[in-house]
Formats: sequence, structure tokens, C-alpha cells
Amino acid sequence: MNPLTRQPTAASHALQQAIDAACARIAPTWPLDRFIAVNPYWGQLDRPIASAAAQLTTLAGSPMLMPRRWYGAQWQAGRISRQHLQAAIEAANAPETVESLLAGMDSPLATPMRLPLAPDIVDSTRGLGHAMAWRDYITHHISQSCAAYFDQGQAGWGPDRSGGLYRSWLRQSAHDFSPAMLMGYSGFTHRLAALPPDPIALIAAALEALGVPADAQEAYFTALLMNINGWASWCAYQRWQARLAQQEDTQIVHLLAIRLAWEWLLHEGHPELGVAERLHHAWHNSADAAQQAQTAQQHDWLWQAALERSYQGPLCQSLMTAPPQPAQQPPVAVQAVFCIDVRSEVFRRALESTSPAVQTLGFAGFFAMFVAYKPLGTAMTRPQLPGLLAPQLCVTDECDAPGLGQVLAAARRKKLLWQQHWQGFRTGAGSSFSFVESLGLTYAAQLLKHTLGSGGDPTPVEQTGLPAHAQAQLRPRLPDHTGLPLNERVSWAATALGAMGLTTDHARLVLIAGHGSTSTNNPHAAGLDCGACGGQTGEVNARLLAQLLNDPAVRAALPARGLLVPPTTWFVAGLHNTTTDDMQLFDTDLLPDSHRADLNALMGWLATAGQRARAERAPSLGLSALAAQADELHAAVQARTSHWAQVRPEWGLADCAAFIVAPRRRSQHLNLAGRSFLHDYTWQRDEGFGVLELIMTAPMVVTNWINLQYHASTVDNARYGSGNKLLHNVVGGNVGVFEGNGGDLRIGLPMQSVHDGDHFRHTPLRLSVFIQAPQAPIDAIMARHTTVRHLLDHGWLTVFRLADDSGVWRYQPGGQWQAVERQ
Amino acid sequence: MAQNLIFDLGAERLAMLVAVPLLYLMAAAVAAVSAGFPEARLARWRMARGCAAAAVLASALSLVWLLVAGDGLVRGPMAVGLGAFGTLHASVRSDALGALMLLLVSFIGWVIVGYSQTYLTGEQGQARYIRGLMLTLAAVSVLVLSNNLLVLALAWVATSLALHGLLTFFNTRAQSLVAAHKKFITSRVADACLLAGVALVGQQLGTLEIDQAIAAAKALPAMTASLQTAALLLAASALIKCAQLPVHGWLIQVMEAPTPVSALLHAGVVNLGGFLLIRLGSLVGDVPAAQALLVVVGSVTAVVAALVMMTRISIKVTLAWSTCAQMGFMMMQCGLGLYDLALLHLVAHSLYKAHAFLGAGSAVEQNRLQQMTPPAPPQPMGHWLLGALAGMALVAAAAMAWGLRPSQAPALWALGGILSLALAPLLAGPVWQAGGWWRLAGLACAQAVALAYFGLHTLFGHWLGAQGAGMPPDMALVFWVLGCFAVLFVVQGAVRARPHSGLARTLYPWLFAGLYLDHVFTRIAFRLWPVHMPATPGTLPKPTPGTHTPPSGASE
Repeated sequence: MNPLTRQPTAASHALQQAIDAACARIAPTWPLDRFIAVNPYWGQLDRPIASAAAQLTTLAGSPMLMPRRWYGAQWQAGRISRQHLQAAIEAANAPETVESLLAGMDSPLATPMRLPLAPDIVDSTRGLGHAMAWRDYITHHISQSCAAYFDQGQAGWGPDRSGGLYRSWLRQSAHDFSPAMLMGYSGFTHRLAALPPDPIALIAAALEALGVPADAQEAYFTALLMNINGWASWCAYQRWQARLAQQEDTQIVHLLAIRLAWEWLLHEGHPELGVAERLHHAWHNSADAAQQAQTAQQHDWLWQAALERSYQGPLCQSLMTAPPQPAQQPPVAVQAVFCIDVRSEVFRRALESTSPAVQTLGFAGFFAMFVAYKPLGTAMTRPQLPGLLAPQLCVTDECDAPGLGQVLAAARRKKLLWQQHWQGFRTGAGSSFSFVESLGLTYAAQLLKHTLGSGGDPTPVEQTGLPAHAQAQLRPRLPDHTGLPLNERVSWAATALGAMGLTTDHARLVLIAGHGSTSTNNPHAAGLDCGACGGQTGEVNARLLAQLLNDPAVRAALPARGLLVPPTTWFVAGLHNTTTDDMQLFDTDLLPDSHRADLNALMGWLATAGQRARAERAPSLGLSALAAQADELHAAVQARTSHWAQVRPEWGLADCAAFIVAPRRRSQHLNLAGRSFLHDYTWQRDEGFGVLELIMTAPMVVTNWINLQYHASTVDNARYGSGNKLLHNVVGGNVGVFEGNGGDLRIGLPMQSVHDGDHFRHTPLRLSVFIQAPQAPIDAIMARHTTVRHLLDHGWLTVFRLADDSGVWRYQPGGQWQAVERQ
Repeated sequence: MAQNLIFDLGAERLAMLVAVPLLYLMAAAVAAVSAGFPEARLARWRMARGCAAAAVLASALSLVWLLVAGDGLVRGPMAVGLGAFGTLHASVRSDALGALMLLLVSFIGWVIVGYSQTYLTGEQGQARYIRGLMLTLAAVSVLVLSNNLLVLALAWVATSLALHGLLTFFNTRAQSLVAAHKKFITSRVADACLLAGVALVGQQLGTLEIDQAIAAAKALPAMTASLQTAALLLAASALIKCAQLPVHGWLIQVMEAPTPVSALLHAGVVNLGGFLLIRLGSLVGDVPAAQALLVVVGSVTAVVAALVMMTRISIKVTLAWSTCAQMGFMMMQCGLGLYDLALLHLVAHSLYKAHAFLGAGSAVEQNRLQQMTPPAPPQPMGHWLLGALAGMALVAAAAMAWGLRPSQAPALWALGGILSLALAPLLAGPVWQAGGWWRLAGLACAQAVALAYFGLHTLFGHWLGAQGAGMPPDMALVFWVLGCFAVLFVVQGAVRARPHSGLARTLYPWLFAGLYLDHVFTRIAFRLWPVHMPATPGTLPKPTPGTHTPPSGASE
């Protein structure tokens, strides 16, 4: 049936390549309950950033920078100076002067138009003041089909999914009267019936009918996918997950086929418009259009670079000043390991300020526990590690008392089932009427409770079905000898200690602090949790690591690996609540009595640190009036977590701008204002630079993903952000949101996460990465890893090298290191 | 003038009732006047919250007063004489129905104002929002207080116009304008029906006072043809305003306004059709044709919308179809003469749906819970049947316990039948298989629900008194209702049990498309009265958008 699969030819091979390349341009988006940050430009990495931006302009009309007048405002406000502009011009070797940039402020070059697709051509002949645009109609039509196909539990009745997304769409549309009724398209069902039943065959046939030039196919496909970018990203996620599991998924190709089918249908439905000719005309020199766009955007990139320099300059200078050496260093009582997350910086600084006996470290918050977690007695398994990786093990909760776990699990299963039945009674098509009449009045109490603000602490939904007394007895536990034999447990422990840099000088108490957030009625809540833990709270990982490192068998085997952890050291797990800056400690019942006093001291310091961190964050939450009143502020911050109308429970990672990979003492004297990721790293202890390689290929990528997610949600919220929370409408249970009634699936961050109503709270700056290490290993790692090279050479982030002697070198795309001048 | 005043309401109680709309108007005025001053933001919200809270207090007190002192009515000073159509009085009524509605509306209003203040932080156009919200609440409270048909009708028009401002809060979103425009058109058609009905009533009975009109109609030996027409027009108006098929589309699509506006619409405005029918009672209910219209349209809407709801893939649209179905059920109850249950449904649904909309963001948590729940073992059909039989037994027992006899109120027994089918899942399947205490818990829960159902029926029956029961419907209508819901339960059960069956696959595309009813309506409506839409970015290829919209994209 499909000529392409039957007889592979050079043409079909080229077509497949174009399809694959276009699909690879779309970055994945994770479901809402695992909402981790993704760099939406990830598929463009192989291009220099300015060229990628020009492509996005011509293919999708998507800006990668702020509007020029915004940079003008930064200039007016003095945030960008002449010197920054000059430096940006010199670094780019651009044929511009500061004067020409200033003169261009009011007269930007005309950016070429987005290249048209069939709906644009048809719409341009219709009076859109009174009729729905084809563009919107097609987006809505495809979006509804995709939502029905990919639904994860919202609907009780789904479509026939056999044959994949494309077939499902064909079947759903086979009797669709809406194009005729709403858009005046005649003969729709007739034409639809004639479409090839196979997506690849459809793509080949449609291309032939539309006459898209061969060299523009990839660009055209990309434009089509970006036209339905939300669902394309969802399909890319399906593919990403399949590939992590060493499988393949082609729904994104099906989506491309559906979108292309619409091009074809519009072409056939409007023979008088010559859609194919106009498409051919527009796309035959698509590369030129991109080139023009790049030229038009040159000034903007210089402004952006100057703005980044205005941030990097002072930071470089302060990193050059030697940290003050305390006259007498007291012995370290507590080491506290935090996630690299920018929110940890505020808390760590506060904690360090409480006592010189506290030392803090930064490490990716999954603590090298490559696990998925299955809460006891449930059917849910969720990954607890970065989205780049696949879990190696599944952990579940266990009880100390033998057999109790099974009892709890069985009771919980029944409770969950009962709840599901009750839910079925409440929302069932036939029973909801009777439910409303017999029990609807009780919702008055709920409304009253929420409005009077006595909602109390929101209970995590993961605890549903567990009695309160059971919570304290359950601990997530690595599977015993069957799942993870001792030598592997020792390896996990040794890897974690080595990567964290906790190889010597252990304190008596080591706090492993994961982090999480608390908010109510917030579809994007997972976006505020730990990204390194896959958008979950991080206590599972912290508890697993602490448990592993306290395990006497593991401890006994560590010296053989060259790791001497003194027997007096005890590891304790914690969870830093980033919304309230409270720290919850776990498994303290297992603490040896010898360490009680240490723990009490730590708890005191943590409480003080929490107060100071809250006071520091208060102005950003509009609570400056309470900054000096610790208890009132604490109550106010806690109230935000349980308020069901709160759209900004906390600012998350907004305004992130730097990533410092160095020993903490290099930055300890600085107030980094919660804008910097911090990863501890001491190159002298890193033989062979394996840890550095890990940092540059994993945490550096993750921080880039976070940074550019915030960037993209700020500069192009319409495409890479999810719009206004006031309109959010959760789709498919956890797939994503619509903004309002329908339209495309919305990905990325809500406007409320980057904007306070008056100003953007995230300044779009590409990440500045500071690495304290010799130049040669950095160069070598770059040479070995294409991804790292692309990130650096194509300008997706900026790398600085910190020398041990306080010098700072800036990496210039192309391979040069330039010393930053001391001022 | 003085002879028109009946002072059995008491000046204090009158003041308390009249205070409710006045409080809202005051907050609206403050919002309107202070619109240009961003620094007045907090003051505006405080004013709105304060007024909304005071309104709850006033309506609660008036309700207590009612319990103590009984019904009351003030036939206010004559405002306008309308010749043969009667007189437009500003008359205020305090009775079980009006007092409960007033408390409901003010309570929902208070909840929504509190929610909105936090929710809209940082949004442009908050003064406009407060103004629209307060005006809507003022209009609704006048509507439920009025004893004059024309005032009621005009208040309803005002409600719709004030709400329109809220529905188009994001006035640069084309989708928002389209949905609001559809609502605008349907509302005007409903207004036309309503005003025509009111005019006919006035012309036939010589009064626009509701109590007098009902009494006058009762005194007639038979309903005149004109009065029957009026009843049909009023019933049609209620059906349209309650978003019944096939003019339901606007209700489904107004997710283009902030969440609390949806909550207000679904909890405080869309149900006013039910209020109208209960308020007019025999004026509409004694006309068999109007009864039949209400029962048929209501039950078909309830069944179709409930099935469509099963296919919806986003939380808010699911909730909207659910409202459509629930309103159908309420209309059906009005048609069956079960005004007490209709009022119970109205109030309970308001509270339930306000909560569901305001909490719609927790859909992701619900989904997590769903993921955590182990898959339920499949249930044989026999278990369902047993569950349904057990349900019937429990329902019968509960009804008897509240003193209902099998011989009375056949329509009520039909609803009991629906209840017993609804209880089946609590009594059958895994709950039964779980054994032990769970069986007992299932039984106890189901029995408690059934007892609550008839208990509340009894309570609302007492509450409404003579207003609670209308003319019993034709038995054919009762059987029609039973037939409709039997179809609903059978289709739902069949689809759940065999999602891949031919039936499920054949029906699905039709229901997913909402039977194309709204498409037809949209096409006709837009032919007759096109909307003007803004050229939004995204409808036309444009140069790199240089605009950076703040969260709303709307500005004042």
C-alpha cells in the first residue's frame, strides 16, 4: 500500500531524512505532574544561536530576544552602559559602533515575515474581522484530536486509538461536518476519505501535490510542526521516553502527517487561490529569508550581549577578589549538602551566616540516586532523577516492623479503590445528578473553609490512604541484596561521595537536603519542585543516600575504595521547602544518641537560617512590611502555600543567570541574590577529570535547560510559555494546559511565573558558567562532547574559567580563552 | 401611593434586603470612580470584600427574620403605570425561595470576591473586573428579591449585560469575544421570549405583580390561550438562559474568562432559569404544554450532555458540560412539578460547581491519585444488576423512612429510580469484592446518601411550603424521564464495560463533536449577526511580534 516502504529509493530516503531532521528540531515537554524545565531550543543546538533565532523567526515567527524598546529601557535605566555595548561589539567583531546601535534603537530593520503556510494563504483572502481564521481552526481541530488521543485520564470515554495518532484522526474526521459548517469548506469528508491511510505515504503524496522544493522540505516540515508546537513537543516527549527505554515512537511523524494533510486539503479546497504555487514561491528561497532575518536581528544580539556583560562584569570582578580568610577557622560541626538550585543559594548563605561551624555544599538534588519511586501500595511509579536519564532501580517504602508494610499496602489499595468508586459516583454521567442533590450542599463548608483561610497545610496527595501514624514508620528503601548487591551499594555510595566532593574532612553530622515546594490548586506545582528529581520533591533521594551512607556494611567497605568516612559521622536527610524556607528532617529516630546534641544545634541553625532566608525573599513576594517580624512573615508565607487562588506561591528559579562550579569558599563571601546555581568542585581531587566531565555534560546541561526555559517563557510566552494562569484549563489529566477553551497545548511557564504584573521578574540572560579548573581538561571535554561544544561555540551559554589564583578567563566561541581584566 | 404599600415586611427587614443590591452598587461605584488610580487597588478590593461580606450578613439575617416572622412583601411606591399591562412596582418580597436564593448568591459572591483578589494580582483592569462582578451581583440580587415580573425581567437583562463585561475581560482574545457574542445573542433571544411572556401575562391578568398574577390565574376557570402562550414563552426563556440544547454552546466556550468568572456564571447566573420557574410556579407549571417542553428538553439535555461530558478532555470543559446536564435535570424537575427538588438541585449544584471551578487547578493532583490507584478488576454485568437492585431496596427504605408512600408522587419515585441506579457502583464490583468492612461501608454510605436525598427533599418541601409542589405531570412524561435515564445508564455502563465495542466506537465521534448542535447554531447565529473580532497575532503572519503582553493582554 505504501510505495515508499515497498521500494526504498533515494527519494524516499531523502524524505525520511527531512522528516527525521524536522522532528529532531522539536524539544520535548514533560507532563504536568513531572514538569521539569526544558530548553525549548534544544533541537536548534547545532546552529549558532543567532542563526537559530533567524530560523525561528522565518519558520515560526518566534522571537528569541526581547523587543528592542525593552533594551532601550535597560539603557535608559543605566543597566547597560556604553562600555558594555563597546565590549559586545568588539567581542562579536561587528561592523557597528555604540552610536549606530543607539541610532538603530528607534529604527529597527524590517524583519522578514514568517514564511506562509497554506492557512495563511487562504486566510489572507478572507475577511477575518468576521470569520474564524483557518489557522486557528486547524490548530483547534488538531489539538482536540491529539488531546483525545493522548488523554491520561480526564475523559471516561476515548477514541479508537488503533493504528496510531494519524489513523485515529482520520477516523474521527471521517464524518466531520465542522469544516463545512464553520468554515464553509465543501467536500471535506469526501477528500478526507481519499487520503492515504499511512502517514509516510500521506507526507510523500502531499509534498508531491504541493510541490514544496526538495531543499526546503526540512524547513517546511519544521514550520508545520512548530505551527502546532505544543502537541509536537508532547509527541517529542513520547519519543524521548521511548528512546530512554531503548524503543522508538513515531507519533510526532503522525502529527506532521496530520498537519500536512490540512495543507493539502486547503490546497484542494481552494483551487482558485493557487496555494501550491504560492507555497512554492515562498519556500524556494527560505534560506535567504533566514539570512535576511539574521541581518535584521544583528543589533538586538549586540544589545543582548551587552546586557549579559552588565551582569557578568561585576560578578567576574567579585570572583577575582580573594575571599576573606577567617583568622581562626573553627572545626566544622555540620556539613550540609544542598541541590545546585538557585533557591538553595539564599538558604545556604543564610545557614552559613548562623555559625562558622556550618559548611555547605552544592550537588544535583537527586544525589546520584538513579531511581524511580513507587509509593507503598500504589500503582504509580515516578522517576526521581533528571529527565536526561533513565532510572536503574525502583524503590518503594518499607517498614522497620516486618510485615507491617504489607498490611499498610493492602489497606491502602482498598482505600484508594474505594475513593475511586466514590469519585465515579460523584462525577459519573448518570450518578452525578443524584450526587449533587444529596451531597452538593456540603461544598458550602469547603468554600467557607477556603475563603476563611483555614485550609491548613496542604497534605501531599502521595500520602492519601496512609494513616498518620504510618507516615513516620515508612522509609523509602533501596531494594536489598536481590536488587542491589552490596558491592553495587558501595559503588553508589562511593560515586555519590566522590561527585559531591565529600571525600575527606567529614563533619560529625552531614545533612543531605533535597528540596520541594508547597502550593495549592496549582497545575504547574511540579515545576517548582526539584528538577533534578524529575519534578518531584527530593526527600526520597536524600533519605536513600543518607540511609546508604549510614549502612554499617557500606561504611565498612568504603575504605577499600579510598574513602575514609570516620565512624563518628552520621548522615541525616532533610527537605528544604523552597516556598516557606522551612527544613524538614527525616529518620531522626535512627540517630545515635551520641549525635543528639549535634542535631539540636543543627535544628537551631536551620530555624534561624529559615528566618533570614524568608526575610530576604519577603520583598519579592510583596511582604517587605513583614520582613522584620519573623513569626508574622512565617505565617504569611505559609498562608501562600494553602491559598487556592495563589498564582505566585514562590518565584521558583526566576532570574537565574549563573552557574558556579568551584569550591564554595570561592563564592562564599558573595551575595549572589538567588541567581546562581552552585556546584561544589575541587579539581585537585578529581583525578582524570571524570567528575568535571560529568558536571559539564549533566548539571551544566540541566542548568542550561532551566535557564533557557525561563528565557523562552519570557521572550516568547505565546509559544514557549503557557500564557495566563487565570485561563488555564488542565488537559488530559496531566498532559498540559489549554489557555482558555482550546487552541494548542501550552508548554513552558505561565506568565505569572516570570512577570509580576508590572515587570518581568526573569531577566533573559543566557547562563554564565564559571568553572574553577585548568584549561586543558575543559578543552578536552569540549572536544569529546558535541553537545558541550555546541552549547559553548554556538553561544547558548557563556563559560568562564576561574583560575586558582583569582584570575578569570572568558571562553570565546571558536576556542580562544580571553583574560577578564581586573578593574 | 400609600395604599400600594403593604407594610407587613417591616421597615428594618426591608432595609436589610434592599441593602444587599445597594452594597454591591456602592462597591461597583467605588471601583468605577477609582479606576484611574492604581494606588487605590487595595482599597477597591477591601471595599468589594467588605460589601460582599456585609451582603452575606444582611441576607443571612433576613433569612433568620423570615424564619421568625414569616413571609413578607412590600409593594413599593408605584414607579410607572403601563396601562393595560399593569404597573411596574419596585416591590420586594421576602419568602423562603427569595431568601434562600439571596443567601446563596451573596455567599457565592463573597467567596468569589475573596478568591479574585488574590487570583488577579498583577492583572490589568482589576477595577473593571470589580465593577463587572459587583454589578452582576447587584442585578442578580434585585432579580431574586423582586415581586414584579417586569423588574425581574429587566434585572435579568442587566445581569446578562454586566456579565458580558466580565466574559470579555480579555478583550483582545478572539475566542473570548466569539463565545461572549454567542452568549449575547442567546441572551437577547431569551430576553425577547421573557419580555413577550411578561407582556402577555400583564395584558391577560392586568398585573405584573407575581403574587397577584398567580392568584389571578388560579381564579380563572381555565388558562386562556394567551396565558398558555405566555407560559411557553417563559419556559422557553428559562430553557435558553439555562443553556439547554441546542443553544448550549456559549456556556461550554466561555472558559475564555478568568476562572472565578466561570464559577460565578456556573454557580450564580446560569441557574436563574430554575429560579424563574419556581418563582412563577403554577403560572407556567399548570400549562401541560410548558410542562412537556421543560421535561423533554431538560431530560434530553441532561442525558446527551452527560454522555458528551464523558468524552471531554479538559477539566473546565468537562465541568461546563456537566453544568449543562445538571441544568437540564433541574429544568426537568421543574417540568415534573418537583419544585422543592429543583430548588435543592439549584442550591446544591451552585455550591458544588463553584467549588469545582475554583479548585479546577487541582486536576493534576486528582490525576496523580488516579495513577496511584491500582486498576480495578473488571466487573461482570450481573454485579451491576445486583447493585442496582440493592440500590432500589435502599432507596425505597430511605423514602419510606421519610414518610413517602408508593402511591404518592410518581414523579418523585422516578427520581428515586435514578438515584438507585446511581448508587449501584457503591454497592457492586470491587467494593463488594473487597469484602468485610468495605461491604458494610459501601452499604452504609449508599444508605446514608439515600437518606440524605429524601431528607433534603423533605426539608426543602417544608421550606418552600405550597410553592414546593406543582401540578403532577402526565404519566407519559414520567415514563419518558425513566426511559431517557435508562438509556443513559445503559450506554454509560456499556461503554465502561466494553470501551472498544462497536457501540462505543460508533457513538464516540458524534458525542465528541457534541452532535454538531453548536456548529449549526454558530453558523446560523453568525450569518444573522456576525461578531467583529480583533486581528490577533496568530491570525495573520506578522513580522517578529514586538509586543510584549503583560499577563492579561487586556488593558483598561
